[in-house]
Amino acid sequence: MNKSLIAATFVCSVVSLPVNASVPATVQVCVSCHGAQGQGLEGVGPKLAGLSSAYMAAQIKLFQSGSRQNPLMQPMAMMLQGDNIQVAADYFASQPVGDISLLYRGDKVAITDPAEKLAYQGDWSRDLPACFSCHGSSAIGAEQFPRLAGQQASYIKSQLEAWQKGTRKGDADNMMANVAGKLTAAEIDQLAQYLASLK
Amino acid sequence: MKFRAKYILSAAALVGFNINVIAEELPDRQQALPSMPKQADHLYLESAPLTDIPEGEFGDKVRLGYQLFVNTQLLRDKNVGNDLNCVNCHLNAGNKANASPLWGAYFAYPAYRKKNDKVNSYEERLQGCFTYSMNGKAPESGSKELVALSAYSYWLGMSGLMRQHNVAGPVPELSDSELVKGAKRDDFILPELISSKMDPNALAQLPGRGYPAVPKAELAYSPERGAEVYQAHCQSCHGQDGQGQMIAGIAALPPLWGAQSYNWGAGMHRIGTAADFIYENMPLGKSVQLTPQQAWDVSSYINSQERPQDPRFKGQVSDTQKQYHQHDGYYGKTVADQVLGSASSANFPKK
Repeated sequence: MNKSLIAATFVCSVVSLPVNASVPATVQVCVSCHGAQGQGLEGVGPKLAGLSSAYMAAQIKLFQSGSRQNPLMQPMAMMLQGDNIQVAADYFASQPVGDISLLYRGDKVAITDPAEKLAYQGDWSRDLPACFSCHGSSAIGAEQFPRLAGQQASYIKSQLEAWQKGTRKGDADNMMANVAGKLTAAEIDQLAQYLASLK
Repeated sequence: MKFRAKYILSAAALVGFNINVIAEELPDRQQALPSMPKQADHLYLESAPLTDIPEGEFGDKVRLGYQLFVNTQLLRDKNVGNDLNCVNCHLNAGNKANASPLWGAYFAYPAYRKKNDKVNSYEERLQGCFTYSMNGKAPESGSKELVALSAYSYWLGMSGLMRQHNVAGPVPELSDSELVKGAKRDDFILPELISSKMDPNALAQLPGRGYPAVPKAELAYSPERGAEVYQAHCQSCHGQDGQGQMIAGIAALPPLWGAQSYNWGAGMHRIGTAADFIYENMPLGKSVQLTPQQAWDVSSYINSQERPQDPRFKGQVSDTQKQYHQHDGYYGKTVADQVLGSASSANFPKK
């Protein structure tokens, strides 16, 4: 998606999601793309409900510092300063997220779906750990490990590509770029679809 | 390819002073974990994919073994007394070379262990893991848990050997009583195509067994320097307080010290063993990122914190230290005005 298309979609979304009076004033700036309950808007703003406050606050700061690059989100992140970063992060972290039936490692032994196999077992012939060794059972995440379950497929895909390209950075020891860098384009597509389908 | 060649430069050992030189002169009831040095041209065993585990009773045991191995919390309060899972130390579900793979161990037991001064069968070795690393209560000899873990280990090893030597067909099934013994015994039957090419003694020394020894460091290890290494490279996953990260009730990232980690009798409390593991395997999926000095230092930082009591403790830390801790560890030593072992948490506490 090119920048003008993103911008056009963004404008449409402002029209489609009116400002919600129950949302704290600080957070109003976020809701046109992420929704009043952090439910997200496909192709515009990822789902925020289900992410931890610590993770979101860290990401806002990474956008501000340029470690995460995105033409829309960088200027938006600049609008949140000081304590307001925490206010916004806490607000979205407190939003409800749907129930999910958890599948633990080991519940399934023989896994044939390639994305599910990567998620639960990794591929150690490439020193690729299982997604769930950090993101947890059914990738529900916690603290600095974001929830991937039920996230938009387009967003997961764009982020794995951003880690590959280096337009997303900022984790310890470049761990996620190391993982994303080993994934093929087909695997990224499969993983994005699979993780988005976990609900 | 049935198996994969790894071309890894063998690390040149740095010659220099190390506190281990002193430790090695002392009597030691607990030997370091056996391991194989890493070499450039090693061919590691590659097990069959889990999708090849056969249907039926034998396959069910193998599958249960895998399940218990990656989610050992299924045995919490029954046999497990902390938040760890076997897979935390044995990466890739016990299948990764140089991360103490199960196939490396299975072909090396029965074997004599100084730790309990007797020849141990494979299930007895597994029982040791439950008592110490899992701070729990070992399943009974012949129990379905030990049979399952043995069956899984055997299946990984035998399927790997069969692939390496182009032996077709399913992995030969063994009885429960055979499974728990391990494979280093005269009456263990190897397929002819393998036994004709492989010395049984070589099986007990498979490349990739254990954790390869980290090169010596220039300086004696230091928990103070280790704390800096920890903050820079470890705490984003294992937490500032070393308690890992719980997700969905499971420690996705394992706790490294404190009541929910391995106890003072576990092999990993030894500075050398943890340094070996860390140097080779951490951070997860990156391998050999730290310098040997950093690995030694951070191991000493992690292992100079309190953890559950040594199960062989009889009331006096100094007695336990004298009898079981004449090696490179901190049990009984004073760190920050506290004698380690004197404020240890309980063995096999209920959740």
